[in-house]
Amino acid sequence: MPDKSTFSVIPLIVILLPWISLLAILAFPKKAERLRLWLCALGSLASFGLLFSLLPGILDGKTYTIKLASVVESLEMRLTVDTLGFYFALILAFLWMLATIYSISYIDHKHNRFFAFMAMCESFILGCAFSANMFTYFIFYEMMTFGSYPLIIHEETTIARRAGYKYLVYAVAAGTVLFFAIVAHYFWGNGELGFGSYGVLSLEFASRAALTTIFFTYLAGFGVKAAIMPLHGWVPDAHPAAPSPASALLSGVILKAGAFGIIRVCFNVFGTDLLRELGVYVVMAVLACITIVVASVFALTQDNLKRRLAYSSIGQVSYIILGLAMLAHDGALGGVMHLTHHALMKGCLFLCAGVILVKTGKKNISEMAGVGYQLPITMICFSVCALAMMGTPPSVGFITKWLLGSGALQASLPVYIIILLVSALLNAAYFLPIIYIAFFRWEGDEVEGHGETHRPKLVFGKEADHKLVVPIVILALLVVVVGIWSNVTGFPYSLVSRVVNVIFP
Amino acid sequence: MGAWRHFPIFMITLPLLGAVLMPFLGYLRERWVPYAALLPLAASTLLGFLLVGRIPAGDHLSYHLGGWEPPFGIEIRVDHVGLFLMLVVCAITLLALVYSRRYIEKEVSPGRRTAYYVLYLLMSGAMLGFTATGDIFNLFVFMEILALSSYALVAITGNRNAVRAAFKYVLMGAPSSIMVLLAVGFLYSVTGTLNMADLASRIAESGYTEVLVVSYILFVIGFGVKAALFPLHMWLPDAHSIAPSPISALLSGLLVEVCAFALVRITFSVFTRSATDLVGGTADAVGVAAAAAVLYGGIMAITQKDLKVMIAYSTVSHIGYIFLGITAFTAEGLTGAMYHMLDHGLAKACLFLCAGNFIYLKGYRRIEELRGAWRQMPWTCFAFALASISVIGIPPTAGFISKWYLILGNIRAGKWLYTIVLLSGSILAAVYCLRIIYYMFFQAGKEEAWEDASRDVPPGMLVPVWALSLGTLFFGVFSYLLIPSLLKASAYLL
Repeated sequence: MPDKSTFSVIPLIVILLPWISLLAILAFPKKAERLRLWLCALGSLASFGLLFSLLPGILDGKTYTIKLASVVESLEMRLTVDTLGFYFALILAFLWMLATIYSISYIDHKHNRFFAFMAMCESFILGCAFSANMFTYFIFYEMMTFGSYPLIIHEETTIARRAGYKYLVYAVAAGTVLFFAIVAHYFWGNGELGFGSYGVLSLEFASRAALTTIFFTYLAGFGVKAAIMPLHGWVPDAHPAAPSPASALLSGVILKAGAFGIIRVCFNVFGTDLLRELGVYVVMAVLACITIVVASVFALTQDNLKRRLAYSSIGQVSYIILGLAMLAHDGALGGVMHLTHHALMKGCLFLCAGVILVKTGKKNISEMAGVGYQLPITMICFSVCALAMMGTPPSVGFITKWLLGSGALQASLPVYIIILLVSALLNAAYFLPIIYIAFFRWEGDEVEGHGETHRPKLVFGKEADHKLVVPIVILALLVVVVGIWSNVTGFPYSLVSRVVNVIFP
Repeated sequence: MGAWRHFPIFMITLPLLGAVLMPFLGYLRERWVPYAALLPLAASTLLGFLLVGRIPAGDHLSYHLGGWEPPFGIEIRVDHVGLFLMLVVCAITLLALVYSRRYIEKEVSPGRRTAYYVLYLLMSGAMLGFTATGDIFNLFVFMEILALSSYALVAITGNRNAVRAAFKYVLMGAPSSIMVLLAVGFLYSVTGTLNMADLASRIAESGYTEVLVVSYILFVIGFGVKAALFPLHMWLPDAHSIAPSPISALLSGLLVEVCAFALVRITFSVFTRSATDLVGGTADAVGVAAAAAVLYGGIMAITQKDLKVMIAYSTVSHIGYIFLGITAFTAEGLTGAMYHMLDHGLAKACLFLCAGNFIYLKGYRRIEELRGAWRQMPWTCFAFALASISVIGIPPTAGFISKWYLILGNIRAGKWLYTIVLLSGSILAAVYCLRIIYYMFFQAGKEEAWEDASRDVPPGMLVPVWALSLGTLFFGVFSYLLIPSLLKASAYLL
C-alpha cells in the first residue's frame, strides 16, 4: 500500500520521546531523585501514547514515513510506520513502559546509568520497528545491541561481567555477519534494501547461490538475537545476570528484535514465494524445531528460576521462526502473533521473578517453598502466565499453539504438531513444579512429613511496592484478555491478520 | 579567471611561509608562537572551504606555478578527491595545533618549543603540497619535507626512546625516499616528462615495459614504507607511540593516509588504466600485503599493554583497509578507501589526543591504568568511546559508512577472501576498542588512581578532541554530503 504513504514527523517524535528521560537525568538535581525517575517513566509513557494515536491511521491502511538521512539515493535512513512495524512497536513500547515503572522501585543503585540506557535502548529499538529498509534496521539494531550492554552488567558482579562479555562476543560476531548480509543484499538486490509487501529480491538479478548466502547470513545474524539453537549461548547467562526488568525486556523485546528481523527478511525481503523456490525454509524449520525441543529439555534441568525462564524464552522465540517456516497462512499468523504473546507472558514471568528475588532473596526454584503464601498476587500472576505458556485456554499461549497447529495442517506437515505437543508437555514439566513448590510445599515440609501446621500465613495486598505489583498484574490480565478477545482493535489479531492476509490471500 | 584559482597554492605556501617566519617571532616573543602558528593553518582551512563547490564534478583545477605551462612548469592539480583530502589535512592539523599548546608546554623543553611549531607548520604545508601537486618531482620534494619534519618531530622531546624511535623511522624512511627518487628518475628517463597528466599519455606509448614495472614497484615500496603498509610498517608502532600525542595524531591520522593517497594518484593518474595489466601483478601483491596488515595489525593491537602502541597497531590494521579498498579497483572500493582516510584520520587523531589527555593529566600510558577513568575524565572518555566506535565501524559513525563501501567494493570485485578479511578486521577492532571502553566505564579502578585531581583536562585540549569525535559522528550521519561526489570522482579516476 505505498500509495497511502504520508509524510509525518510522528515516528521521529515517538523515537525521540524516551530521550526526555536522558534530559531529565541531566537537568534535575540529584536531590530530586523521585521526580527524575518518574520523568523517565513519563518519557516512555508519552512515547507509547503517541504511538497509540497512530492506530486509526494504520487501520485505515496508511503508512507514515520520514526520511532521516541518506548516503546515496538508494541508501537512505528512513522511518516508516507500516502495520507490521506498528504492531511490534506497540508491544515493545507497552512492555518498556511497564518495565520502566517497575524499575523505579526495583533498581537500587546507579539509577542514572540504568535509566539513561533504558531510554536509549527503547529509542533505538523503536527505530528498528519503524525502519523502512534493512540499512536503517541494521543501524538501529547495532546501536540497540551495544546500548543494552550496560543493562546486562548493571549489577557489576563477576557473573554479570562474564555474561556481558559473552553477550558482546556474540553481538560483535553477529553484527559482522549481519553487516555482510546487508551489503550482499544491497549488491545483489540491485541497490534495493527496502521492504516490499511481497519481497524485493528475485532470481532475475541474482543467482540461487547468492540468494541462499544472503538468506543464511541474515538468519545467522538475526539468529543470535533470536536465540536459534547453536547461536543461543549468551541468552541463559545474560538473563539471570541482568536486573529483572532488564531481563524482562531482553526476553520480551530484544530477543524479538532478532525475530522481527527474521520476519522482515522472510516477508518483506525474500517473500514467501522465493523462500519456497529456494527451499531454505526447511533449514529454518528444522533449526526451529530443534531449538524448541532442546531448549525445553535444558530448561528442565535448571534450578535457577531466571535461567529456566531464559531457556524457556529460547524455545518460545523459535515458535515465531517455526510459524514463519511453515509458509502457511495460519502458521505465519500464529508466529507473528506470538511475538506479542510471548512478550506479555515472559515479561510478566521475569517481573515476577524479580519480585521474588527482591522480597525473599531467593533465586533458585528449590528454595521457593511457600513463596505463594508470602507473595500471593505475584505467584498467582506467575501461575497464570506459566499456564498460558503451556497453552492452556483461555490465554494467549493457547491461541499461538492453535494457530501454529492449524498452520502445520495447512502446510500438510503434521509433524510440527507433534513438536508443539512435545514442547507443551515439556513446558508443563518445567513450569508446573514451580507452581507446585510455591503453593503446595512449605519450608520444613520434608522434615516433618505432614506440614499442615507449618503452613505460612497468607498475606494479601502488602507483598510489595505497587510499582512492582501493578505491572505484573496488568500483564497477567492481558495474557488472559488478549487471549479471549484477540480480535479487538489494536490487539494482535486485528493487526497481524492484515499483514498476513496480504501475503497469503 | 577568479581569484579562487590561486587558493590552492596559498593553502600550501601559507603554512610553509609561516614556518619560515616562526623562528623570528620565537626569538622576539616566544609566548606568541603557539597562537601565531594557528594563523596560516586557519587561513589555509578557510581558503579550502571557499574552494568547495567551485571545482566542477569530474573536472580538476589546474594551477600553473609562475605561469609556466604544464609539461615544463610546475602544476598544482586539485580535483574533488584532492580537495577533500586537503580539507581533511587542514582541519586535523588545525585541531591538533590547538591541542598542542598545553601539551607541548608539559612535554617539550622550552628551548625546543619554537622548533616544534616550525616543524609542525612545515609538515602541514608539505602534506598539503603532497596532496595537491601534479608533478612527480614535486611529489618527491614535498615527501622529503614531510619526512624530514616528521623525523624531527618524533624526536622532539629529546629523550632516549624518542631518539631511538626517530632513528628507526629514518632508517626505513630514508631508503624509501631514495626509492621514490629512483622511480621518478626512471620515469623521466623513459618519458622525458615529470608532469603527471603528461606522463599518463606518454607511458602508454613508451615501449620500456621493464623500466615502467621497476619504477612502479619502487613507487609502491617507497610510499608503502611511508604509509606503513605491512610488512614495511616496522617503524610505525615506535614512532607513533613515542612522539608527542598531537604528532602521533598527525602521523597516524594524516601522514599515512596522504602517502596512501599519493600511491592512488601514481596508480590511477600516472600509470592509468592502459597500464593496468602492467601494475596488475603489483596490485595483487599489495592486496595480499594489505590483507595481512589488517589481520596482523589487529592481532598485535589486541596484545598490547600500552595504549598508544595499541592505537598505533590499529593504524597498521586500518592502512590495510585503505589499501584493500584501493586494490579492489572499483568505484565503491575507492570511495570506501577515500572515506576511510577521512574517518580514520578523524577517529585516530581523536584517539591519540585522548591518550595524550591521560598522559597530560595523570601520566598514564598503560591500558590497565585506565580502569575507572570515566569518573575523573568523563569528557575525554566519552570522546574516546565515540571515536573507537567509529574505528570499529559501528553505525551511525563514519567508520560504518566507509566499511560499507570497502566491503561493497570488494564484493563487486568478486574478492571474497578480502571481504572476509575486512569483516574479521572489524571484529579485531571491536576486541581491542571495546576492551578499553570496558576498562574506562565499567571497571572500578583503584581509589587513589583517580582521586587526587577532580577535573578533566583544560578546554583547550578538550575542544579539539570533541571536534574530532563529533566529526566522526557528523560524517556518519551526513555522509550524503560527500559520498555521491566521491563515487563520481572515483569512477572518473578509474
